[in-house]
Amino acid sequence: MARKWKIAIGILAVAVLIGLISLRSLHRRMVRLAETQAAEERARHEVLAAPISTPTDVTAKAKIFWAAGPDQIAPVEIELPLSADPVQRSRQLLHALIVSPPTPGQRTIPADTELLAFYILPDGTAVADFSDALSTETPSGILSEEMAVNSIAGTLASNVPGLRRLKILIHGQEVETLAGNVDLTGFFDLNSAPQQASAAAR
Amino acid sequence: MSRRCENAMHSQTSIFHHDGSRPSGARCGVSAILLAVRNLLRVLALAAGASAFLASQAVGQEAPPVEPAPQQAPAPAPSPSGPVIVLDPAHGGTDTGARGEGGMVEKDIVLQIARTVRAELDRQGFRVLMTRNDDSNLSYDDRAAVANAYRDAIFISLHVSSTGTVGTVRAYYDQFDTPIPPGVVTASAQPKSPQTAGLTAWEDAQRPYAGASHRLADLVQIEVAERFSGSPDTSAGAAVRALRSVAAPAIAIELSSVAAPNLNSLTGSAAPLAGAIERAIAASRASSSGAR
Repeated sequence: MARKWKIAIGILAVAVLIGLISLRSLHRRMVRLAETQAAEERARHEVLAAPISTPTDVTAKAKIFWAAGPDQIAPVEIELPLSADPVQRSRQLLHALIVSPPTPGQRTIPADTELLAFYILPDGTAVADFSDALSTETPSGILSEEMAVNSIAGTLASNVPGLRRLKILIHGQEVETLAGNVDLTGFFDLNSAPQQASAAAR
Repeated sequence: MSRRCENAMHSQTSIFHHDGSRPSGARCGVSAILLAVRNLLRVLALAAGASAFLASQAVGQEAPPVEPAPQQAPAPAPSPSGPVIVLDPAHGGTDTGARGEGGMVEKDIVLQIARTVRAELDRQGFRVLMTRNDDSNLSYDDRAAVANAYRDAIFISLHVSSTGTVGTVRAYYDQFDTPIPPGVVTASAQPKSPQTAGLTAWEDAQRPYAGASHRLADLVQIEVAERFSGSPDTSAGAAVRALRSVAAPAIAIELSSVAAPNLNSLTGSAAPLAGAIERAIAASRASSSGAR
């Protein structure tokens, strides 16, 4: 065999050896990179989704419904600057629900979710328009989807007087289900929302 | 390192050379070897990534394979009677439903469970149908149509959740929203009238059966609470889309969850679940015949 072939094979063998040795560290680096990206995404979301402040803000206690275990939600009382205007107040509450769960395990709404629009009709119907992330990142399942919807409904019902029912839109559109199970074509009754939230806790 | 040689090395990051040049000369020899080593490492890294991906796919394939439909067990009961029980394994096809980290997929698990429940109920003399017995993805209305074709049917949609305490089971009945006063919301959000010129709207077909569904869900929940420790004592109302178009008593049963340690712990629930369904249906029939 020619000398140059021997050298080439030798180099290749060394390279394969180095490659095999470095496989584990490469894998570790890839995992670390993925974690860093997720953390950056969360930080970006928190910066972009700045808190809503209005001239009528008064710091008050609000009941926010977060997960209280793997299969129930419960109200947590926190202090928030809340507007006198019901639309702005609702936006502040939903913002807190999305951004400020006390622990990651208490989250009911995906971190990437944004409240795109919120308005209240004269009959007391609240319309909340969320970004696609609410639909695409909520884990599929009746229980998980119910917990997400009930946390929104319970939070609004407990803190915004005069609301009667809730319509959830995704990116401005009515969608059939939240994540494959819970029907979003109808309205959620806010008069019984806290009771519904308790029902999810059973 | 010569500028030309450097250019050539940089250009290796792209498919094409920026200037069409090739590295040349003895000074490029060492660089060329280093380049070859670097590229080889890249190939190895790619190969490692690909093998990790293939490994994860292999884990995914450990999820219950869609087996051929089991042969129907001979029913000891003389002849099937009573309501037609329509078992609906949720999701299917591209709609996987809940996905576990270990590769478990809801659509496959519920199909396996439904087949076992069907076999058990067949043995008890019930007439049982399934909305799907393969990996097809039927629409909600197509699933409902299977039950709506019979005068006396019971529709049971089977699910596995993403969350919840592992090993628990919940029964749901459809909870309708309250009607919206006309003229205050947009056309798309108008209330759906249950009756249109004497006909029931397809999307409101479940409304007349709300009471019966609620009772059945409660009976099933009582039975599953005895068999699956930690399960709630009462059923829950939820806006479950799969139930809305069913013109018959209809419930959804959801097992927790795809986070279970292994597949057997979920598929093993099928037999006790079938027992719970059987007893609940029998109790429901007894109470309705007693009420007459």
